[in-house]
Amino acid sequence: MKKVPEEYISRELFDTVQVYIITKPELQNKLITVTAMGKKLIGCPVCIEHKKYSRNALLFNLGLVCDARTKTCALEPIVKKLSGYLTTLELESGFISNEESKQKLLPIMSTLLEELNATGACTLPIDESNTINLKLIEQRRDPLIVQEYDVPVFTQCKDHFIKSQWDLTTQQILAYIDGFRHIQKISAEADVELNLVRIAVQNLLYYGVVTLVSIFQYSNVYCTTPTVQSLIDDRSIQEECLNYVTKKGQKRACLRDVFQLYCGLTPGTTVRDLCSRYSQQLQRVDERRLIQYGLMKALIRRLQKYPVKVTRDERSRPPRLYTGCHSYDEICCKTGMSYKELDERLENDPNIIVCWK
Amino acid sequence: MYIHSSSFDLQGERKSMYKQSENSFFKRGEKTSPISVILVTSGSRGNKLLFRYPFQRVADCTSSLTTKQRSPYALNTTGDVLEDPDGDSREQTPLTDQQLVAGFSDIILATILATKSDMCGKKFELKIDNVRFVGHPTLLQHPHTIQVSKTDPSPKREMPTMILFSVVFALRANADPSVISCMHNLSRRIAIALQHEERRCQYLTREAKLMLAVQDEVTNMTETDGSPQSPFRQILPKCKLARDLKEAYDSLCTTGVVRLHINNWLEVSFCLPHKIHRVGGNHVPPEALERSLKAIRPYHALLLLDSEKALLAQLPLDCSPALVRLIKTCSAVKNLQQLAQDADLNLLQIFQIAAHLVYWGKAIIVYPLCENNVYMLSPHANISLYSPLAEAFGQQFPGHDLPSMLAKFSLPLSLSEFRNPLDASVQEAQLIQMVVWMLQRRLLIQLHTYVCLLVPPSEEEPGLLRDEELPLVARVGGRSLSTPSALSFGSPTSSDDMTLTSPSMDNSSAELLPGGDSPLNRRMTETLLASLTEHERQVILNIPAAQSPEDLRMFARLLHYFRGHHHLEEIMYNENMRRSQLKTLFDKFRSVLVVTNHEDPVISLFQSPLE
Repeated sequence: MKKVPEEYISRELFDTVQVYIITKPELQNKLITVTAMGKKLIGCPVCIEHKKYSRNALLFNLGLVCDARTKTCALEPIVKKLSGYLTTLELESGFISNEESKQKLLPIMSTLLEELNATGACTLPIDESNTINLKLIEQRRDPLIVQEYDVPVFTQCKDHFIKSQWDLTTQQILAYIDGFRHIQKISAEADVELNLVRIAVQNLLYYGVVTLVSIFQYSNVYCTTPTVQSLIDDRSIQEECLNYVTKKGQKRACLRDVFQLYCGLTPGTTVRDLCSRYSQQLQRVDERRLIQYGLMKALIRRLQKYPVKVTRDERSRPPRLYTGCHSYDEICCKTGMSYKELDERLENDPNIIVCWK
Repeated sequence: MYIHSSSFDLQGERKSMYKQSENSFFKRGEKTSPISVILVTSGSRGNKLLFRYPFQRVADCTSSLTTKQRSPYALNTTGDVLEDPDGDSREQTPLTDQQLVAGFSDIILATILATKSDMCGKKFELKIDNVRFVGHPTLLQHPHTIQVSKTDPSPKREMPTMILFSVVFALRANADPSVISCMHNLSRRIAIALQHEERRCQYLTREAKLMLAVQDEVTNMTETDGSPQSPFRQILPKCKLARDLKEAYDSLCTTGVVRLHINNWLEVSFCLPHKIHRVGGNHVPPEALERSLKAIRPYHALLLLDSEKALLAQLPLDCSPALVRLIKTCSAVKNLQQLAQDADLNLLQIFQIAAHLVYWGKAIIVYPLCENNVYMLSPHANISLYSPLAEAFGQQFPGHDLPSMLAKFSLPLSLSEFRNPLDASVQEAQLIQMVVWMLQRRLLIQLHTYVCLLVPPSEEEPGLLRDEELPLVARVGGRSLSTPSALSFGSPTSSDDMTLTSPSMDNSSAELLPGGDSPLNRRMTETLLASLTEHERQVILNIPAAQSPEDLRMFARLLHYFRGHHHLEEIMYNENMRRSQLKTLFDKFRSVLVVTNHEDPVISLFQSPLE
């Protein structure tokens, strides 16, 4: 057995976990992670059967050892890939069973350890014709489903990204992502099919390149969340916010004005109301960017309207959209009505009540 | 919120396009359930798998009997790897949970799960492809029969000796780390009970003997008849331990509450918070729960989620009388301090029992109900016409429908406003019941008023708060009465933190000082205002209301609350002040204060899932 570095695995540890390293046939080619004595071992045992080997089979396992507390999900694909490569190498040129080439294993393992720890990627030249490339991929959470009425907004400056690295669909819609156009609009203006836009944006969401906010209208209602206090507590958020919301070409807005504006957002108050009540504070502040920043950082949240048909009439059809599950945003997007039209239609119906949340 | 609205399927293609995401949504629920429970031992007869549940179907049994054959679910044989030049593992069609573990034969499980003795007494965790095994291997002392046989020459029937055993749970590999550690906890608890019973009356050895006997019997029958059967099915009716393990598994998969009686004697109880605390489709991680519980205050109240009768019926016979007393005395209008007095318990006990009830999903923490409480519809409330909640509400309160009630809370509504309905047919008491009902189901959130000191900037100063202004609370020596600090589950604390009677005597002593502009008062005010910058002080002193020494003194005294982290009710409680006094003060100094309303982040955990 070869170990790099030599002393990291004790004799006792190896004896204890031996059964998980060189395993019974049933466990071969499976990724095995075992935790023992403060260490975690990740390996993938391989068995190659052939007459040429003593005992008619060669069993080997290249594993990684970490501290027991490490999160090792990202290392698993690397271990699997390595086991595949070594298997191929052995079958093609007897790399492992050959005494000479076997010596190369130690330096390869050293390089692997050093480079993975340093940069998260490594290149292992095996011989003239073979090189193994490995990279640690960060695991991310599943993104939310993107709806047609969601608005994607870049979390960093758009120009930071090398556009040619993205797929064609994403490249085509990038210009239309401005933090105000919703998915349906982007699809129409960029002339890309709706579901493709949704998938492309979901992909951007996965990598944290964009985040989703709701459609902006002056009739929207917002309210503060407990996170709004972070504007007072956190210096970096203050800086970022004031830079973001100040009108172009104006002197930077002051914290008090901006905080007052956010606190001025309450249930029942529309953005239009805010603009008329706080016109002095809005002299140096762009209200659209104020709302956008507030939503991105969860300083405020949008209150959506949900119509519910509380009908008493048994004979009428059950409501399809007015069930309390679909917001005005969604209904307007799907039916093509404007807010005003929907409002007028529903206000005249005594059976419909509206909930805000 | 968006995941909820996709429950109504309007477009077929949307569903298929997003099947993967929706599948993962459903899988999230299964991620908190175990796939299998397995009991293994290691002893003089080698490693044995005594019992597993769910057991394999008959068809799979035959394939695993022959050890030479590869498991039918083994991924990537050597042949496959050759075809794929990159060496990447090919994406197989996803196996069901049962298939994942059924692919492991009894023998291989016995080998890998019955560990060496030096892994005993610690958490055991093994991950193989998509399955994670977690357990707590436990060493048994050598039974005294071994020593006896050394000295006693008379032939004794050779009793197979058990060296160690392990109750192992198989989970999906991507289960949450907190779920894994909970399962480990349960495994450990069962192990402790079994170890105890083994020492007392060799319970485990006897059960093991029964299980192995049935297994041998079934193997013999298979060899003679040729018809394969699952031995575990036969074991169930004969062994109590097998039935206990099955019950543990079934409970974990459904309610998340496990109550076993090992050997009909020792009780093992356990709850999986992930199944119990689900708000809006997501579970509340136990660490967040614990953090919130440590931050509750004596002015909070405990709201039971079941009726008093139902809750008392669930308690074991030998439960603590303090718990019973608390449940009987508890009420949504009573804060924890009052509860302590009424139930004749000290505050620490109340906190501990309250935390216990909350952890087990039997109660939540709220602010005690009173006239001035302002409630609003929770953003995570299910307001669908067809939700089971709507139906339950209609049954509980005939003639009323839930959506209409919820619509009333679209705008923040105080209890007193709610109780003056235009519709006079509803009884007042029933209205309160409705609010309690809605709070219990996390449909409403309570809003509190928070205040922040922000002085209009001078011309020269930048619009930001300077660094030295930020730690205001520390410098003024802000007295915020904290919850008994060592509220960790089950650990005793010193008695100093315990006795929180009425709020701080120090601050209210200001009331006892001679009123008016005495030198002492002036000095105190000056000291308190010294923490502000020169500019801030100037602005405040220029406010007309500051000309009144009493008002200024009150303002200075409360200065450390004006950082946006203490709500009105907390200030009222700490400083023994009336709401009207505070509101008047805020109004007088409104040019330097910014006021906002939002939910209390400390208890909002119980109302909304974490991001």
